[in-house]
Amino acid sequence: MNFEHILAHHLVDRKFSHHIIARLPFLGAVDLGLSPLIVTMWIACAISVLALTFAARSQSAAARRARAIFEPAALFVRDDILEPIFGRHASFYLPYFLTLFFFLLTCNLLGLVPTMSGVTANPNVTAAMALCTFGLIQFAGIKEQGLVSYVVHIVPGGVPWWLWPLLFVIEVFGMFAKCISLCIRLFANMLAGHVVSLAFLCMIFIFAAMNKAAGLGMTVPAVGLALFIYVMDVLVSFLQAYIFTFLTALFVGGAVHPH
Amino acid sequence: MGELLTPDAGLIFWTIVTFLCLVAVLKFAAWGPLLHAVEAREARIQADRDAAERARAEAERIQKELEARMAGVQAESKELLAAATKDGEALRAKLKAEAEADAQAVKDKTFAELAVEKNKLVAELRKEVATLSVLAAEKLMRNSVDEDVQKSVLAGFFKDLDAAKANRN
Repeated sequence: MNFEHILAHHLVDRKFSHHIIARLPFLGAVDLGLSPLIVTMWIACAISVLALTFAARSQSAAARRARAIFEPAALFVRDDILEPIFGRHASFYLPYFLTLFFFLLTCNLLGLVPTMSGVTANPNVTAAMALCTFGLIQFAGIKEQGLVSYVVHIVPGGVPWWLWPLLFVIEVFGMFAKCISLCIRLFANMLAGHVVSLAFLCMIFIFAAMNKAAGLGMTVPAVGLALFIYVMDVLVSFLQAYIFTFLTALFVGGAVHPH
Repeated sequence: MGELLTPDAGLIFWTIVTFLCLVAVLKFAAWGPLLHAVEAREARIQADRDAAERARAEAERIQKELEARMAGVQAESKELLAAATKDGEALRAKLKAEAEADAQAVKDKTFAELAVEKNKLVAELRKEVATLSVLAAEKLMRNSVDEDVQKSVLAGFFKDLDAAKANRN
């Protein structure tokens, strides 16, 4: 019984097939083969599209009930996250942030469903999301300020000229650091729930390996603790979706309003 | 577990593509209608609120106007009441003066009539007393006296009587 193997079995994404389309200098071979994680991500997308489109377009009673759930969440993203940061630009970026919030939330929650893969518990997925944030920061900065003004305003105003190159490098690294922190925060938080749940469940087998009665006695507390962590994971799913969305808005807002 | 941290460009690629496609799809399929409905509702609520604000302002204006009008009416009624009171007082004073004048006239007339009546009675009484006195004197003197003499005697008598009365006063 190897705990690491169990974790790897649950968390590592293994491709169904390999379709190498290119060999890049730093990344090596780019394998676009599908994997359970990609399929889970698509399922999350399908659920998001179906549920949100149904809620937005249908006039049935069920759609009204669904709207009563989604609308407050969408208004929360608009009124409490975007408008204080973006002001009059909020409506342009709203679809991106709403999609980001609901996509992350669906992926987080879907990762808690048995047999489904934890999409956001994979660093490649969170890195991709952070890359999207990085891209949006550049896009928003250049769109709102213009390329030259954006590059100039990367360094805060009032800095002595001889410090400017040093601060420019630091600020650019800071920009990357922000995105890396986004990536690691989401990945680590979502992974931790899976790891702790599995650790509690593995305690049953570890104790059973020592003594069968001890293993049996460990069942109830281990399952209880695993369920507690599971409930915590549901809360963490909402919280991390909100934090990722909020921080992305904050970073993009910093590029839109440099002062 | 090292595999978990191995960069997977394919997964990153699929995640980015999937997410961007989802942004595009949801923008047209869900967020557009949902946000339009929300904005329409917010606009309706704002319009209702504006209408309510306008109605309240109008109601306040009407209330102020009514209050001003009411104050004017009250002032006017007070003025009218004061004028009516003044008129009433004047009328009362006039009526009182007229009544007093009438009463005085009646009193004066009554006094005058009484004085005439008194004088008449006094004259009649004098005449009666004189007649009785003469009759009595006749009976005492048992002889008749000439009528002219009687008159001259009586005139002298009354003259003396008036003189005595005047002396007493």
